[in-house]
Amino acid sequence: MTTLATSIGSLPALPAATWLPSVPAMSSLHPLPSLLGQAAVPRDIGVFEWLFDPDSWSGPTGIWSSLWETVRLCAIVVAVAVAVTVPLAALLSHQRRGEFVATWAVTLSRAVPTFAIAGLLVPISLRQGWGSEPWPIFVALLLLALPPIYLNTYTAIRQVDAATVDAARAVGLTETNVLLKVELSLGAALIISGIRVAAVQVVATEPIRAFLGGDGLGRYLRDGLGQNNNSLVIAGGLLIALLAAVTGLSLGAFERFLPRGVRRLRKAS
Amino acid sequence: MIQLAQAANPIIRWEYFVDEWDQISEALIQHLQLTVAAVGIGIALSAVLTAAVLRFHWTATPISGVTGVLYTIPSVALFGVLVPYTGLTIWTAVIPLTAYTLLILVTNFVAGFRSVPPAVRDAADGMGLTPVRRVLGVELPVAAPYIITGIRIATVSTVGLVTVAAIIGQGGLGRLILDGLRRTFWTPMVIGAMLSIVLALVLDLVIQMVGRLVTPWTRRSRA
Repeated sequence: MTTLATSIGSLPALPAATWLPSVPAMSSLHPLPSLLGQAAVPRDIGVFEWLFDPDSWSGPTGIWSSLWETVRLCAIVVAVAVAVTVPLAALLSHQRRGEFVATWAVTLSRAVPTFAIAGLLVPISLRQGWGSEPWPIFVALLLLALPPIYLNTYTAIRQVDAATVDAARAVGLTETNVLLKVELSLGAALIISGIRVAAVQVVATEPIRAFLGGDGLGRYLRDGLGQNNNSLVIAGGLLIALLAAVTGLSLGAFERFLPRGVRRLRKAS
Repeated sequence: MIQLAQAANPIIRWEYFVDEWDQISEALIQHLQLTVAAVGIGIALSAVLTAAVLRFHWTATPISGVTGVLYTIPSVALFGVLVPYTGLTIWTAVIPLTAYTLLILVTNFVAGFRSVPPAVRDAADGMGLTPVRRVLGVELPVAAPYIITGIRIATVSTVGLVTVAAIIGQGGLGRLILDGLRRTFWTPMVIGAMLSIVLALVLDLVIQMVGRLVTPWTRRSRA
């Protein structure tokens, strides 16, 4: 089991395709075998009976460890996306350049075919000896996260009142400080809401990883479909939907913690 | 051992295209069917919802709320949760796909009709047009660019989402991707992934061109 952290640290040393066990009998629905094997769940168990059973939450195939897998990957994806996109979009917007990228981002933000991109990257990644996991899904999710963050950061800086920016220049702020202290702080609410949109999309899409040779929260859905166990399928779906909702709500609450002056700008927009 | 197997497993074998064309075209057609069904039903539902928003203003908040919540439900989760109820049928794929188009379509449709200048509406009324003829003959053409943009975005995003439906045994080209993964045979994967991206681009272009054909005046004004 290669963790994301170790695989980032020792990229070329990753053994190629250790996840490829002998392929089991193929039914049209049998998903890729997972690294840790499947959780053995009786078919007649109820959805909530399974969800509230402490045994379902513990162990390497338990909900806690799957949740951690998912949250960790999503957090890294969003962090990288923010680190790359926010400075770039802020700078371009400050210089009033790169508007066409923002126009693309509007269309792209709803049209990134994550599953196709990840699928395309799996063979390439394996041939490079980087393993099937988690690079393909990482790149695919990153591409999904970039457009909303870019778009919102660009718009946020763009719509800061020109008079305010002029005033900041007039009192002697350098261009760097105009960007950092005036534009970015006034645009913060909108930027964070872009990050929220991106994070929700990433969390909502990450479960396809379970169908691409990985694990994470999507595993219950995959195992449920593979074992024809509807309770597991529904429970897996609920867990994913719940995580997406919690992500959206908690980042939404974070927006509300911003100082009042910053929030006012958002309302006016 | 694995390295050897990989060496004999090139990223793409072009002869597969010819040999397995039946399978590929079948997947392609299913992909198109799912997309057209989802976007078609989405357009019909969105037209009704848009009419409601424009006619009864109080419906705007609940409609945008509900379509917004639907949009944030993870597709994998929705496909999964529907399986016990609708089985592994085409509906399990079409219902979520349709649900995801609603937010995009309603937002754009409403923006389109709101972009009609009140003076234009008054002029149409002044000419004695019935409300139905005013909406279809005057407001619809003015709103057309927004409507077409909405349909474009909804279609492209649906083409991408259809591949995810492969996990419930639907999914057109997505099935080629999953199938290739399962057999660690890269060619169908690469073909499925590439064709689904190409299909999105082609449909985007087609809708754009149809849009230009039905709104010739937008070109004239730009020239």
